[in-house]
Amino acid sequence: MTKGVSRISYSAAINQGLRQAMELSDRVFVYGIGADGKSGIFGTTTGLVETFGAKRVFDTPIAEQALTALAAGAANGGLRPVLIHQRFDFMLYSMDQIVNWMALWRFISGGKAKMPVTIRTIVGKGWGQGAQHSKSLHTWFAHVPGLQVVVPGSPADAKGLLLASIMSDDPTIFIEGRSLFSMQEDVPDEPYFIKLGKAFVRRPGKDLTLVAFGSMIPSALEAADRLSADGVEVEIVDLRCLAPLDMETVTASVARTGRLVVAEPGWLRYGAAAEIIAGVAEAVGDSLKAKPRRVTWPHGYAGTSSALETDFYPTTDDVVTACRGVLGR
Amino acid sequence: MSKDLSASLDLYRSMQRIRRVEEALIEAYHPANEMRCPIHFCVGQEAAPAALGMALGPDDVIYSHYRSHGYYMTKGASLEAMVAEFYGRQTGANGGVAGSMELADHEHHIYSGAIVGGMAGLAIGQAFAQKYLGESAITVAVFGDGAMDEGINYESIGLAVLKQLPVLFLCENNLYAAHAPVAVRTRAPSLTGRAAAFGIETETIPDSDPDLLRARVADIVDGVRRESRPFFLEIETYRFCGHVGPESDDAMAYRPLEEIQARKAADPLGALRRKLEASSAHNQLGAIDAKIEAEIVEVIAAARKAPFPDPAWAKTIVSADSYDPLVKELIEGAVGEFRGAQSESKLAPY
Repeated sequence: MTKGVSRISYSAAINQGLRQAMELSDRVFVYGIGADGKSGIFGTTTGLVETFGAKRVFDTPIAEQALTALAAGAANGGLRPVLIHQRFDFMLYSMDQIVNWMALWRFISGGKAKMPVTIRTIVGKGWGQGAQHSKSLHTWFAHVPGLQVVVPGSPADAKGLLLASIMSDDPTIFIEGRSLFSMQEDVPDEPYFIKLGKAFVRRPGKDLTLVAFGSMIPSALEAADRLSADGVEVEIVDLRCLAPLDMETVTASVARTGRLVVAEPGWLRYGAAAEIIAGVAEAVGDSLKAKPRRVTWPHGYAGTSSALETDFYPTTDDVVTACRGVLGR
Repeated sequence: MSKDLSASLDLYRSMQRIRRVEEALIEAYHPANEMRCPIHFCVGQEAAPAALGMALGPDDVIYSHYRSHGYYMTKGASLEAMVAEFYGRQTGANGGVAGSMELADHEHHIYSGAIVGGMAGLAIGQAFAQKYLGESAITVAVFGDGAMDEGINYESIGLAVLKQLPVLFLCENNLYAAHAPVAVRTRAPSLTGRAAAFGIETETIPDSDPDLLRARVADIVDGVRRESRPFFLEIETYRFCGHVGPESDDAMAYRPLEEIQARKAADPLGALRRKLEASSAHNQLGAIDAKIEAEIVEVIAAARKAPFPDPAWAKTIVSADSYDPLVKELIEGAVGEFRGAQSESKLAPY
């Protein structure tokens, strides 16, 4: 499949994914506040307007409701819009358009319509972004039938999942972690598409299943390395997508390891981790050798002070501790 | 027959068809309780959809509010499928999943929805696509005066002007948002004044003379198409029936009785009919009416005989689970050889 591979960052991989999607189909256009590269949205859109012109890459007023509705109408009209929110928190203005229109558009059409919209949204986590700039409300959207929720945890995944999202005929909330943007990885130069709704076993292991996604992936990988040094082999299941949710891969792994930790870059209550543990309990609960654990954000807000922020977010140590707890060692 | 008279007859046929369908459905609603969904009838408001339907072409697109039956019918979509939709049948326009409030026909490009104001936003997106793809079709956003209290309408008008999109904002001002009169909603009642502040051309036309409305709507639609720019049209109208459901809601006394009586006395459809009765085409009205009545009997009977949708089917239509044919063969399971193992980024100040 691959001709060449380059070591590039998460933001460069997203930039490449957008560029290649636009090359593949002239029905793809990219817009949002700052999308035409004046700020470059962390480098993810830099250079696009120079290549594709202002018709296909444009800046917008701060009007999230109409911008989101524009995506829905344009998709119904045959285009493949990519709308970008620099901060997740701002897209809450567009909940009506996403939940009341996009998500159920196909259903109310009696299965005739498509809604190929991609909404890129960035979780601001870190550098004092505070309570209004760092929320991750992935579960809100994963709860709504008809929406795809994609949570890439590495550069290669970001590119392949973004290309698949843009070319998918269903509406997709594509959630990026700002804290991942300079993460480097070998990424194929050619366009490629990772099918949505399939989890990925990032590291095989026999002793414990560690389910993680998004910005918890680096901590999960580090934790597995550290535990491996102690002779414990952790299997890392990267969900990649919260919707569709690939419970088969998770339950197959837990059925083998008998132990489960879920690391979620978001709040504890009613979260994805709770859904995973419930699904495991229902499907293979009798194969659990120990009580599962969750590593999540606390049920509160990240204060801007570095002292508060550092305390708020779970670290590799927290993942290691949770795994050791489940392992009883 | 002159062109004008022929157009008048077409307009009458369209308005009368809407009126009689609505009245027949109102009559059929309760006795059997077979239409089990909220329905917002448009009795009294037929002139706007009839005039618009005559101005639009088959490729033009309408996004309507939930009082959509008139627009659905005049866009050329199947009456039988509409009625079957209200009866919750598989043969319904949406397969029985949408009822009246989200009635749509994707082949005839007419969509509707229950959330007030939402359709204006989708309409600008459709118009954006039309302009982007170089199509000559235009889009019409239909909403009521109540939707002019929603923020998204203003964002949408602003974007339509900014991007010079071929979209007609058609605001039916029937003076009541559900049951709320203008006075409880705003101290700035001029809808065109508010729209004009965004730099959009506006006009207000009463629907009291349907022929005048028809001619003017045709010109406005032509202008939007020819010059690829938005237009805000306020049509002053009045709802004779209740806000929702087959019963009159006049007992709630949210509208003055004198106002209701005066508006019904000035029924635009009645005025048009009287004009035609006095014309050389008077002898055609009977046949037009009879054809409509026969069609109504037929579609209600067909709807009641149609099968209900399969619940298993309804569970399969939530997601398409498909990709653009351009890339379908390229979708694969994983890029398994790439396994990043490194810390989260060091964040730059920002």
